[in-house]
Amino acid sequence: MPGAVRPAPSTRNHSVDHGLRSESPIDEMPGPPRRGALENASLVPSRGPIASYDTATTTLPTLRRGSQLHETERRLNAVLNNASVAIFLMDDRQHCVYMNRAAELLTGFSLTEVLARDCPLHDIVHHTYPDGRPFPLHECAIDRAFPENNQERGEEVFVHKDGHFYPVGFTASPIRDDGAKIIGTIIEVRDITEEKAAAERQRLLTNELNHRVKNTLATVQSIAAQTFRSRTDQVARAVFDARMVALSNTHNVLTAENWESAGLRSVVESALAPHALAEIDTARFDLVGPDTRLHPKVAVTLALALHELMTNAAKYGALSVPAGRVAVHWTLTRIGAGEQLDMTWTETGGPAVTEPTRKGFGSRLIERQLPMEFDGTAVIAYPPTGVVCTLKIPLTTLGWHGRDVVLGRDAR
Amino acid sequence: MSDLEGRRVLLVEDESLVAMLGEDMLLDLGCEVTVAMRLEKALALARNEAFDMAILDVNLGETVSYPIADVLFERCIPFIFATGYGTSGIAPTYNAIPVMQKPYQLGQMATLLKHLLNCETLVRKGGAPGTGVSCTCALTPGRTGPTAIRID
Repeated sequence: MPGAVRPAPSTRNHSVDHGLRSESPIDEMPGPPRRGALENASLVPSRGPIASYDTATTTLPTLRRGSQLHETERRLNAVLNNASVAIFLMDDRQHCVYMNRAAELLTGFSLTEVLARDCPLHDIVHHTYPDGRPFPLHECAIDRAFPENNQERGEEVFVHKDGHFYPVGFTASPIRDDGAKIIGTIIEVRDITEEKAAAERQRLLTNELNHRVKNTLATVQSIAAQTFRSRTDQVARAVFDARMVALSNTHNVLTAENWESAGLRSVVESALAPHALAEIDTARFDLVGPDTRLHPKVAVTLALALHELMTNAAKYGALSVPAGRVAVHWTLTRIGAGEQLDMTWTETGGPAVTEPTRKGFGSRLIERQLPMEFDGTAVIAYPPTGVVCTLKIPLTTLGWHGRDVVLGRDAR
Repeated sequence: MSDLEGRRVLLVEDESLVAMLGEDMLLDLGCEVTVAMRLEKALALARNEAFDMAILDVNLGETVSYPIADVLFERCIPFIFATGYGTSGIAPTYNAIPVMQKPYQLGQMATLLKHLLNCETLVRKGGAPGTGVSCTCALTPGRTGPTAIRID
């Protein structure tokens, strides 16, 4: 009978995770004579009768009653069998030598059944792909090899004893012997059916939101078109349509990101792209600045502000003549946990500029609404050389700052 | 519209374009308007400035305008809520407050603001639940007095 028999020794190697460092069951394990560290620590189960397992309640092998070790074992069993996560202990042949109660509930198999099959656990709970193809052991991410590091994670789809598939999240950690040789694996498995369903509902909801927002914008546009068909000049209609398109384009950027945030660069590019074209005329625009994540509200207002600047430039400013150029430069400065966006819009090469006598929607939006909305500042200056707009927007004032911040990526 | 002429109104609305629309409507009604788009700013104004009435957008981005409502209760400044969700979107504590449906409409806004001016009821904070005085002002269809004032 080669090797020590019982799975209990594994708890020694894994004891830190359970806070049970004080006891090392293997040291007092009754069992066959020890023949070396490696074999003592081996997780290969007995070929003999498995009566030593209390299979009815899935306990670790029974030890001397009344001993401190027995107490420890009792506690350990209590921990394992009350854990809501399924725990499998695998030997070096990828056979399951122990599973807790949650694992029995999860898989539909009792430990007795699993031990009696005397084959890799994979062939019992993971043998078929959801599409019906056989799932050979060598293709399995969980069982393919011993995990290199602690807590390798992933998602798989298991097959229940009754035949149904269920998605699981797993964490696999190696178990090492005294010589640091990996002799087994402990696998924690959670049923993630509910999480998957929730994520799917969320996805459907987001799609529905995107759909409705788009339809609402289109509806508003249509109502305006019908309402003002004969009463308003075509210029006003064109201005209105362009603003609706600017808003819609920003929504495209947000939609691509599930309305969580928008990339600053994408927002700038989509706001400056001529409506018929997907790309900015790089000969006329000079965009320099790092990318970052914007709150959806910042994205929408900033895009509308840039749209107004661009419309004005196309009508009266630098973009009204072939030689004119627009530079949009921005920087991000760390403030506390967040960032401040400093953006400058500079027109050059256009006709000589004079300050307008009447301020319209664009300047009202930029100079008044934008600072109020984000607790920032915005100034539009009209030097003769070209319009200069300076924006300061703290990206933290909405109680939100971008996750997944991408710093230092310059234009082009 | 004459009774709204010159009234000082605090407008709290966090969406730039919607705030512009609301401001324009109030100006058309002859009111003096102060716009606040952020909670802290609105709270400071509500505490320190003189207003005849206020319009509070319920949802302010990731927060709500109830703290402003509480300050207005304390100062006995009448106000209405503005929301796209209808009365079901308002916390029960503030059931007594008239609700202006979004999108904004000039007529609805004028009716509700006049109600605030003419109604002799003053919604108070601190009264026991259900002990609110009754108000017989006609509100928007389907919302007629008496309105029980339920401020915990």
